[in-house]
Amino acid sequence: MNHDWHDLIQRYIAGTLPDDEALALQNALKSDKDLRALYLDYMNLDVALGSQAESRAAVKEILASPMARETSRPGRRYPWLPLTAAAAIVLLAFIVWPRAAVDEEAISNGVAMVSDTLDAAFAEAAVRSGDTIAPGKLTLNKGLALIEFFSGATVLIEGATQIEIISAWEARCVSGRVRVHVPPAAKGFLMHAPDVKLEDLGTEFALNVKGQDSAVHVFDGEVIAHTKGNAPASLKEGMTLGQTDAGFLPIDDVHDLVRQRQERRHAEWQKWSEETRNDSRLVAYYTFKHWPDDRWDRLVKSCAIPPQKQRDGGAVGAKWTQGRWPGKDALEFKRPGDRVRMNPDGSYSALTLSCWVKVDSVDKKYNALLLTDGYDNGKPHWQIYEDGSLMFTIMYRPDASASVAAWNQMYFSRPVFSADSLGRWHHIAVSYDNQSGQVVQYFDGVEVSREVSRLHQPGRPITFGPSVIGNWGLPTGNHPSHFPIRNLNGAIDEFAIYSAALSGAEIRSIFENGKPE
Amino acid sequence: MSQPSDHPPHEPFFRLYAEHEVALHTFVRSLLPTREEAAEVMQEVMVILWQKSGQVDEFRPWAFGVARLAALRHLERRKRDRHVFDSELVHQLADESAAMSERHSDQREALESCLQKLPTTQRELVLTAYTKGTRMDDLATRRGQTPMALYKLLHRIRQALLECVRRTLAQEEMI
Repeated sequence: MNHDWHDLIQRYIAGTLPDDEALALQNALKSDKDLRALYLDYMNLDVALGSQAESRAAVKEILASPMARETSRPGRRYPWLPLTAAAAIVLLAFIVWPRAAVDEEAISNGVAMVSDTLDAAFAEAAVRSGDTIAPGKLTLNKGLALIEFFSGATVLIEGATQIEIISAWEARCVSGRVRVHVPPAAKGFLMHAPDVKLEDLGTEFALNVKGQDSAVHVFDGEVIAHTKGNAPASLKEGMTLGQTDAGFLPIDDVHDLVRQRQERRHAEWQKWSEETRNDSRLVAYYTFKHWPDDRWDRLVKSCAIPPQKQRDGGAVGAKWTQGRWPGKDALEFKRPGDRVRMNPDGSYSALTLSCWVKVDSVDKKYNALLLTDGYDNGKPHWQIYEDGSLMFTIMYRPDASASVAAWNQMYFSRPVFSADSLGRWHHIAVSYDNQSGQVVQYFDGVEVSREVSRLHQPGRPITFGPSVIGNWGLPTGNHPSHFPIRNLNGAIDEFAIYSAALSGAEIRSIFENGKPE
Repeated sequence: MSQPSDHPPHEPFFRLYAEHEVALHTFVRSLLPTREEAAEVMQEVMVILWQKSGQVDEFRPWAFGVARLAALRHLERRKRDRHVFDSELVHQLADESAAMSERHSDQREALESCLQKLPTTQRELVLTAYTKGTRMDDLATRRGQTPMALYKLLHRIRQALLECVRRTLAQEEMI
């Protein structure tokens, strides 16, 4: 699931991609508009590089000819330069064309999803709870995992178990212990095992497979067992077919265990959070606790010690929702007005922004995490760029210069938000030190970019002032009355601003202490 | 291409064609698996456009329509020696590629400065690789590399170029 799309696309272009991977690329392209844009950009680059190489070859030829030795460089080197004013007008005239099929439906090859896990370790490293899974093998080395097939059948598997998912209606248990629940809507769900095929008529049964031996026990309803050379046998409630020395997989405790795990993680995070709020490097620390006695329901309190009331935030629009665990609050940002307004005072020589966020969709060009009002010198902006990368920017523009772009220090990570990271909680962080100029960005405790801008000059101060989380507040300058929409589509349940560049180990520890599972 | 000056009535056609050639080429390229096939289909497209251009009012949408059909026809009759995208995806790509041609034109302009930012040896390498008549295995031998290592290096350079181009455009919009 963690494909390197750049590599896949380039190998497709080069003609070195094997058919099965080309098919995977095709399926991914169909369902992912951003990926199609990446593919099309690569194709454009391919053509453009061809033109560049051609004109360079032509230039070399001309320069090599006797006449050219006396004259100067040829004038026009690039074949697309004719695309100037007149062409631009033509382009604009046709910009509305074509309008067909703008809203394509996204397509997935998933047939089931991993709905819940408990201390689960899959051999397929990328599988996590919440993932949609396509047909193929799934190997659980330890723990428990609940697989919900799109037909409605639910399969609980316990490590070590390997199953092969064939379709929304069919699976095979290669080895291990599984328990299957089939509601009436999924009647006919097929489970294969060595020497036996189990057709489920709306029921609950357990299956143990060891080597070539299968044992099945029906807890409820009816299962038709098809075995080689025998007539199909009906298995009813309480009946067992085959021998096993291991017990059949129980179901009762699973939901309790999941709840207990969530409570444990929540409690561990709370303990860590209580200690962290004493960190003297905190400028502000928002834990997004919904205060029941807040009659206006809008307070987003900074919990840093000592308390600095002036740095408390206020929610605008955003609604309270559940955070990483039941009982942990979060604010949800959905509508163009949703935001948390705050005003961290002071001037700093370094910063770290640390945030737990569930991004539901990267649907704007720039998707706000934290932005200061306007975009003045030394004011940081932290956003998710349209390709899913983290984007940190800070600008120092000399008074005389009108151009913003020329002084804008921009730092991008590799894309981190894509179909398989959307809709779940992730930790993201960025640190910046105004001496070294180094900007380091992190995703789930792992460094994803490290860069110094060529525009960096040491020692220039960082300030926040009026700022907004999850949106862009009151832009000034070029946008007095209208401004681009940058609201985040997702939820945030923890946000910390530090006055120092935290180390990679510290970021890792924040992630480990706060991770949902 | 024949000389437009020999055929005065065709001059407007060649002006139009020159104006849209790169955009059409990108469009066709995005629907076909290889560079060579795209070049082949482009020749076919040019001939059709040249023969029929007198009968249309709006050149650009018509030309894109002709190019789309030519690419699809080519895909239907080509040998299935390797996986090609199915027609559903090709139509998706065609719609989006046509709608992105302004962005692509901006990207092509940004490519010039991005190429300049590359180390000289990498710039030379990528342009040599794209020069007609360059064979990848020869180039690899000359550089004392395996073809696989050369492909990987070219992948990295292209990815760096693409990221540079995308960021340059983002930067121009940033306020």
